[in-house]
Amino acid sequence: MDKRDPFRHNVLTSGHRACSGCGEAMAARMVSDLIGPDAIYINATGCLQVFTTHNQQSAWQAPWIHSVFANAAAVASGIEAALRIRGKETPIVVQAGDGGTFDIGLQCLSGMIERGHDILFVCYDNEAYMNTGVQRSSSTPHAVRTSTSPPGRLSQGKHQLKKDVISIMAAHHMPYAATATVAYFPDLKAKVEKAMTIKGPRFLQVLSPCPLGWVHDSALSVTVSRLAVETGLFPLVELEHGELTGVMRLAEQRPVDEYLRPQGRFKHLFNSKNGAIELRHLQALADARIRRYGLLDAETEWDTDRAMQSERHGRGGYCERRSHGS
Amino acid sequence: MVAKLEIEPGSSNAYHTGEWRTQQPLYQNKWPPCSQICPASEDIQAWLALASAEQWQAAWHKLTERNPFPATMGRICYHACESACNRKHLDSAVNIHAMERYLGDMAIAQGWSHRPSCDDEQPERVAIVGAGPAGLSCAFQLARHGYSVTIFDDQAEAGGTLHSAIPDYRLPKSVLASEIDAILALGIELRLNSRIGEAVSESDLLDQYDAVFLAIGTQQPRLNPYNNGAEKARSNHSVMSGLEFLHRLNRGEQLAIPRQVAVVGGGNTAMDVARCVRRLGAEVTVVCAQDPHGTHHHELGTEMPASLTEVVEAEAEGVQLIYRAGVHRLVRSGDHLSGIEIAHVDRVHDRHGNFNPILFDGTEEFVAAGLVIFAIGQESDWRGLEVLQKTTEAEGVWVGGDAVSKSKLAATAVGSGYRAAMSMMARLKGDAVIPDEHKKTKITYREMQLHYYAKQPRLEGEINPKRLDGFKEVVKGLVDDDSATHEAKRCLSCGVCFECDNCWHFCPDAAVIKIEGGYRIDYDYCKGCGICAEECPCGHIDMGIVS
Repeated sequence: MDKRDPFRHNVLTSGHRACSGCGEAMAARMVSDLIGPDAIYINATGCLQVFTTHNQQSAWQAPWIHSVFANAAAVASGIEAALRIRGKETPIVVQAGDGGTFDIGLQCLSGMIERGHDILFVCYDNEAYMNTGVQRSSSTPHAVRTSTSPPGRLSQGKHQLKKDVISIMAAHHMPYAATATVAYFPDLKAKVEKAMTIKGPRFLQVLSPCPLGWVHDSALSVTVSRLAVETGLFPLVELEHGELTGVMRLAEQRPVDEYLRPQGRFKHLFNSKNGAIELRHLQALADARIRRYGLLDAETEWDTDRAMQSERHGRGGYCERRSHGS
Repeated sequence: MVAKLEIEPGSSNAYHTGEWRTQQPLYQNKWPPCSQICPASEDIQAWLALASAEQWQAAWHKLTERNPFPATMGRICYHACESACNRKHLDSAVNIHAMERYLGDMAIAQGWSHRPSCDDEQPERVAIVGAGPAGLSCAFQLARHGYSVTIFDDQAEAGGTLHSAIPDYRLPKSVLASEIDAILALGIELRLNSRIGEAVSESDLLDQYDAVFLAIGTQQPRLNPYNNGAEKARSNHSVMSGLEFLHRLNRGEQLAIPRQVAVVGGGNTAMDVARCVRRLGAEVTVVCAQDPHGTHHHELGTEMPASLTEVVEAEAEGVQLIYRAGVHRLVRSGDHLSGIEIAHVDRVHDRHGNFNPILFDGTEEFVAAGLVIFAIGQESDWRGLEVLQKTTEAEGVWVGGDAVSKSKLAATAVGSGYRAAMSMMARLKGDAVIPDEHKKTKITYREMQLHYYAKQPRLEGEINPKRLDGFKEVVKGLVDDDSATHEAKRCLSCGVCFECDNCWHFCPDAAVIKIEGGYRIDYDYCKGCGICAEECPCGHIDMGIVS
C-alpha cells in the first residue's frame, strides 16, 4: 500500500500510465479520494481502466473491478443487489468515460437508474474515444477535429452537436445528477459529498481535459477546464428529480475564443472563412446554455470567482489527517 | 471457497513514471517586488503573513530585523513597495505602510522590546558618528549581535533629520522618541552634543574603537544662489534655507511669517516647508524647476523629485505650485523683500548631470512674497572629519546614509546602516557577508495566476478633517485588528508558498505529497506535465530541466 501522503489515501496511486497532464487521472484521483478506499469501484472499458491496470500492476488501492465496455452499470447493479441482500451498505461507484456513458454504456446506465439502484455513476467526460486514437463520440462537441471527423474542404470537424447527457439523466427523474470539472475542486468536492449522502441512483459528469486529444499543452489541463466553464460552454449544474436545483454563476462571461485557442482540436476554425461561421456558432451555443441555465443572473453566492479562491493553509482536503505509517 | 488467483496483482507503484519526464517542477521562493524595491530590504511578505495570522509580536520582530523604525517609517516613508505591489493588477496595492505603522504603534503601546539575535558578547567596540536613521540602524544591528556600540551626535536630541526636519503633522516626536528608546535599550551608549573634533578627536576614535561608521547625513543646506555680494550684506530675515526653517520650527520656535511666502525647490523638503507655512497661516507658492508628475513617465531629472503623495497632500492643503520655473532675481525695495521674479526653465541639468537650469529671457513673472525659502538641496558637513573621510573600510571606517547615498530617503539610510553593520561584522569576524535567504529572481503578475485571489477593497487610515489647524497628525492609522488582518490577508504572497494546496490537488499522478508546513515532489512518479507550476497562484513553482 502507498502511504506516502499523511493527508490523503491516494485511492488512485502513482505509477499509472496516463499521459502527462491527464485530466481524467486528475479527476478520478480527486473523486476516489473524496469517496475513500472503503467503496467498491466498477470500471467500464476506457482510458481509465487501461492506464490504471497495466501489466498486472494496479493503481487502485480499493476494491476495483473491470466490466466490459457496455455493462458497467449492469455489473454494479448486480453487486449492489447482492450486497443489499447480505445487509451491507458499502458505497458503490461506477467509473466510465464518455464512450462508456454517452454511447456504449447508455442502455445499461438507463436501466440502472430506472431500477433505482443505490449507485454513484461517474462519467469522466473527455469528449472522444481517446484511448483508441481520438475517434469522435456522441460527447464530442460541434466542430471538433477528431480522427473520424477530420476538417477539410467540405467539413469543419464534427457536424453534430454534443449529446446533452445531463438532460437525459435528469429526464429519468433520478435523485441527483450534476456536472463538475477539475478546475473547481471545492465545487467538485461539494458535489461528490452531496451525492454520497443521497440514496438511490446518482450521476456525476466530470469534464476531464485530454492534452492528447484536445491537443493542448499538458500544463493547461486545469486552465482549459476552467475556461470551458467561464465561457458558458460547460455549465456547472445540479438537477434533483429533474429539477434544476443549483448552478455555478459566472462572475464574468469570457468569449469562447479564449477556450478554443489553446486547443489544437479547434485550430482549423481560425483563419478560415467557414471556420469563422463555426466560431460564431460555438459562441451562440455558449450564449444559449448561459440563457438556459441562467448562468449570469442566478441568485447564488456560488460563482466562478468564489470557487477559485485560494487561501493560506489550503482549502482542506480529502480526509482527516492521518498519522504517518498508519 | 473462492479459488486463489494464480497471478497476484502488484501495485503500479513499482513502475516509476518519473522516467518519462522531460522537465521538472521545483519549489523556489522568490523575492517579491515589494521587498526587492524596499530600500531597507524588509521581508514584507513574511511579516504580513504573520500579521494575517494575528501573530502581531512575531510580525513586529520579523519587520524590525531589517528596520527598527516601523512606526516612524509607516508614517513618513514614500512606500515604493506599494507602487511595485503586484496586487494593483488585481484591484489595488496592499496598504503596506499602514500595516507597518499599525505594528509599530502596537509595539510602542505594548512596550515590546527588541531581542538580541545572539547571546554572545563580542569583544570589539564600534563608534558611530550620527544618530540619524542610518547610524541608529547600524547600531541596532551591531548591538543585537553583541557588539558594544557608542553613538556620537552633535545635536541635543537623537534622530537626525527624522527629529530635526520632519514636521509634526507627518511624524509626532513622541513616536520617534519611543522607537529610538527601544533601540537604545539594547545597551547602546549615546553621546549627544558631542561633535567629532570638539568633544572627541578623530585620532581618539580610531584608537579606541575597532570600527567606525560615519553616518553624518546632509545637514548643510546648499547655498542659495543669491547669497553673495550685495545680498549677503542685507538682513537675512527675508531669505532662509528650508532646512533652517524646519529646524527652527521643530525646536519649537515661534516664527513670525509674512502673509505671502515663496518656496524654491521641487523636493520633499520643499513640500514639507510649504505645508508647514500653510499651517502657520500664510499663503505659499512653490517654484519648481521640473514638470509635474506623470508628464515624462518618471524620466530622471525631468519630473519634480518630491513624492507624488506629498504633492497631492500639499495641493489639498492649498499650496500653489508653479512648474518649470526658476528664480531670476529677488525683488527688493530697500531691505524689504517684495517678491521674486521667476522665468521659464528650459534645460534643468547640464550634460554632466549637474543642476544648472537655463532661464529664457522675456518669460519673467513676478511672485509676491515677503519671505523666500530655498529648499534646493543639502550637503554633508565634513568639517572635523577630514582624516576619517579618507580612511577606507579596510582600515576600519565605513560611510553610509544620506552622506553617500544618491537617494535621500529615510528607508535608504536604514538599509545603508544595515549593510554597513553586516559588512563590519563580516570583517571583524573574518567571515563572508551573510547572504539574503531568498533567491533574487523577479516575479511579475504575469507569472502568477491572479484569478485565484478574490478582489478585496484596500483599507486606508482616516484623514484628519481639521488638518490645517496646527501641527496635528494628518493621516490616522488603521482602526483595529480586524482591518489590519484584512489588509494583511490581501498580500498575494508573490513567489512565496502560502500552502493553498493547488499543486497537491491538481497533480494527476499523486506525485505531490503534502507534508507538515509544505509539499514535497516525489520525482519517482512526476511526469513533468507542468500543471502545478501553471496553477500555482503565486508563481512559487518553476519548471526546469531534468537533473
